[in-house]
Amino acid sequence: MLRLKNGRIYDPAHGVDGEVRDLYIEDGRVVAAPGPDARIDRDINLAGRVVMGGAIDLHTHIGGGKLNIARALLPEDHRQDPVPTSGGMHAGCGHAAPSTWTTGYRYAEMGYTACFEPAMQPINARHTHLEMGDTPMVDKGAYAMLGSDDFFLRMLASGADQRLINDYVGWTLDASQAMAIKVVNPGGISAFKFNARSLNLDEAHPYYRVTPRQVVQALARAVHDLGVAHPLHVHASNLGVPGNADTTLATMAAAEGLPIHLTHIQFHSYGTEGERKFSSEAERIADAINRMSNVSADVGQVLFGQTVTVSGDSMKQYGNHRHASPDKWVVMDIECDAGCGVVPFKYRDKNFVNALQWAIGLELFLRVSDPWRIFLTTDHPNGAPFTSYPHLIRLLMDKRFRDSKLDEINAEAAAHSQLRSLDREYSLYEIAIMTRAAPARSLGLTDRGHLGQGAAADIVVYRDDADREAMFAKPEYVFKDGQLIVRDGKVVNVVNGALHVVKPEYDKGIEKPLKDYFDRYMTVRMENVRISDDEVCTCGASKLIPHVCKGRAT
Amino acid sequence: MRLERPACPRASRLFSIPDPGQATIAGLPISLDEACRSAAIILSGSRRPLIGGLGCDVTGHRAALSLAEKLGGVVDHMHGRAQFRNVQAFQDGGWVTTTLSEVRNRADLIVLAGTDASRYPRFFERCLAPASQFGELTRKVVVLGDPLLSIPDMDGVSVSSIPIDAGHLGELFAVMRARLAGIPPRATDVAGVSIGQIEALLADMRAARYGVLVWNAAELDFPHADLTIQSAVNLVKDLNQATRWSGLPLGGDDGGTSAAQTCTWQTGYPLRTAYEIAGPRYEPLLFDSDRLLKTGEVDALVWISAFDPERTPPAADCPTVVLGRADMRFVQAPDVFIPVAVPGVQHAGFLHRMDAVVALPLTAPAPSSLPSVAQVLAIIQRETNHAAA
Repeated sequence: MLRLKNGRIYDPAHGVDGEVRDLYIEDGRVVAAPGPDARIDRDINLAGRVVMGGAIDLHTHIGGGKLNIARALLPEDHRQDPVPTSGGMHAGCGHAAPSTWTTGYRYAEMGYTACFEPAMQPINARHTHLEMGDTPMVDKGAYAMLGSDDFFLRMLASGADQRLINDYVGWTLDASQAMAIKVVNPGGISAFKFNARSLNLDEAHPYYRVTPRQVVQALARAVHDLGVAHPLHVHASNLGVPGNADTTLATMAAAEGLPIHLTHIQFHSYGTEGERKFSSEAERIADAINRMSNVSADVGQVLFGQTVTVSGDSMKQYGNHRHASPDKWVVMDIECDAGCGVVPFKYRDKNFVNALQWAIGLELFLRVSDPWRIFLTTDHPNGAPFTSYPHLIRLLMDKRFRDSKLDEINAEAAAHSQLRSLDREYSLYEIAIMTRAAPARSLGLTDRGHLGQGAAADIVVYRDDADREAMFAKPEYVFKDGQLIVRDGKVVNVVNGALHVVKPEYDKGIEKPLKDYFDRYMTVRMENVRISDDEVCTCGASKLIPHVCKGRAT
Repeated sequence: MRLERPACPRASRLFSIPDPGQATIAGLPISLDEACRSAAIILSGSRRPLIGGLGCDVTGHRAALSLAEKLGGVVDHMHGRAQFRNVQAFQDGGWVTTTLSEVRNRADLIVLAGTDASRYPRFFERCLAPASQFGELTRKVVVLGDPLLSIPDMDGVSVSSIPIDAGHLGELFAVMRARLAGIPPRATDVAGVSIGQIEALLADMRAARYGVLVWNAAELDFPHADLTIQSAVNLVKDLNQATRWSGLPLGGDDGGTSAAQTCTWQTGYPLRTAYEIAGPRYEPLLFDSDRLLKTGEVDALVWISAFDPERTPPAADCPTVVLGRADMRFVQAPDVFIPVAVPGVQHAGFLHRMDAVVALPLTAPAPSSLPSVAQVLAIIQRETNHAAA
């Protein structure tokens, strides 16, 4: 048994806010304090240290076909950050589109113990699981993308019964070994294949005549009915378009009270005011989130520097290609399933638009009052690489630091932003909510993101440094399932991490029309799309952790 | 084993089941263990081995990368020269591409740029059949290149060709881009194709609802063919300003797509990468297998070819270890030959389709006592610990 003594515990799932307590760990789990006779094999004195559960990133593009496109596209970026083989760790590369190995090591070195890939295309699922299988240290999971796939749109257009749609969504989760459902530019990726360049929430798809609103509603209903813990994960229409805040608000309302998660909402909080017709709508968006308890969001914070944007949103990525830096970009239509776009991007602090994007993200963080419903992300690597999280945490926790950075950005953008008037500083407790307890709850990970009895012993210990960036960049200890994996910000023990999936109940009769569809129109057989439990384990994860879904009657 | 559709000669050859074969050292029979030990001794004595061929599935590629990392080796695929024509164009400007099911359901104009796609008969049968989920498609196929290219006769598909030497395709595409940009032509023809023909083709291409430009880098076998590919993908990009066009690069034979994908997610680079002290080093021009062997910049060769017995190792002046299909035959026996199971016939695994999107599950309809590439490489890697001690 391991005892972590005298640490200051931040465990929001149990309302514990900085109390000094001992933690006991046995067989990879947090256990109750044993009697005085218990044998303690190892004692670590954590007096003055901050102790939290392992951090969970619920939206980070860590693996899958479009990541590999980004990697292959950017050798010049990798060359700035080569990673040698060392101590049981594989060589690779870091920065904007890191290798799978390096992704796992660096996440763990920041105290993250679980990462969720939010845009797995079902047709690309096997590849995604192979990449995640080579992503060590952390637990993984993926959200299956639906909403621009032709099978779904055909069903929706033909007025199929919601129960049939639920079966198809259930089948997709099962067959692709996914944790949740994501919709990207609802119907828009498909519309782009029919040469549409934009698709508004209530605009009919050029072929199917259904609207993005209908897509969102059908999928949100299916996810709810199937009992999947994580709400429908929505990358809304009109990403990056000035004035898109109206679309974002309408999308929230379209859920009609059903749970809905709006992702990288910073990219969807833009107005059209001012000389440049680009302004912050963070206040309106944040107010709506504060008002609507069925809505959660992650921010997709922009931080300055070189990165690469990767997205299933081929339509909007095509539109953005003229901003590519360096000037190269990839757009792909994929298998009547979805699409993707990869556009390298350099966010510049002296650029008006980029600087305002930075400020809008921070405003959203500071204006949304409930940290249980707003999550810390940069939409890695789209707003910035995940390795910038410690810097972002400092921006949220330290107003003086934030104001000093505000002084450095494009002056016009700084003047347009209300950021300076926002005095809020996140507390350690709130950081623990938004990076641990809340994502675990949102995903239905009952034994992660907290430190109560029976929790998986994913535990992070920080030195309490007034420089929060330094503090969160280099945890003193990280434990994964009770094993010490990181010491002083360096991996000391390589582990693999499990794959989390949901196991919804659905009528397998859906395979009949689906098989017919694949046989008639696809160039791959339905049986070859489906991934069995045994097969997904051979992709590389240490084990499969299935999560039962309690379906709700329709 | 019976093939569902035995008509494809390539499939018939690759799906045949070879006899178990025999491990050899300098052509003489030996046990698997001894062969692996010999290979390990060769590799431990090497300063920079080339782990080449890479004709295997993802499980094999994972093992090959692991061994290369351990030994400080270089990795390249047997079709690296063709692959890197695409990679160079891709890394310079990116591209717009599509996948097979999109072609099947949407493509109304298919331009074959210097490729005899009939080498892939399934491409036509599967991708250009008239039935699509959006109704019957009347498709046009335009062949840019040798008019002798054989195209199967298919309902709803009209084929025309414009003879042009593949080496001049780049010029043709450049002129088409100039016309798209509104720049008037100065020449009367491009490599024998009249401006009138070019204008007519361009008009058809602009009128397409979903056009696909197909090429096969292996067939664009002339100096600086990467620039031809670049001009093709730039034309596709430009056409997208008004309608939808995509490129479709054919290729990926012998596990080439899986090899590049696996290397990319593990190192960041799509092969032609060396494991060095500071980390992976990517040199797409220098780390060409043939060049490395010719210049003596590698001092050992591991050649992997588990799919196709005809893909024997290139001539090399250095010790050579071959992991090959059991029925591989040599003019000159390599230092070590280890017969391996055929992926998808004799062992299960994963293999990417050429578009890299679909990774197919491989099964083992005819399991064999032969070890897989991954198993042999793991044994060799383990043995190098002893050999080095």
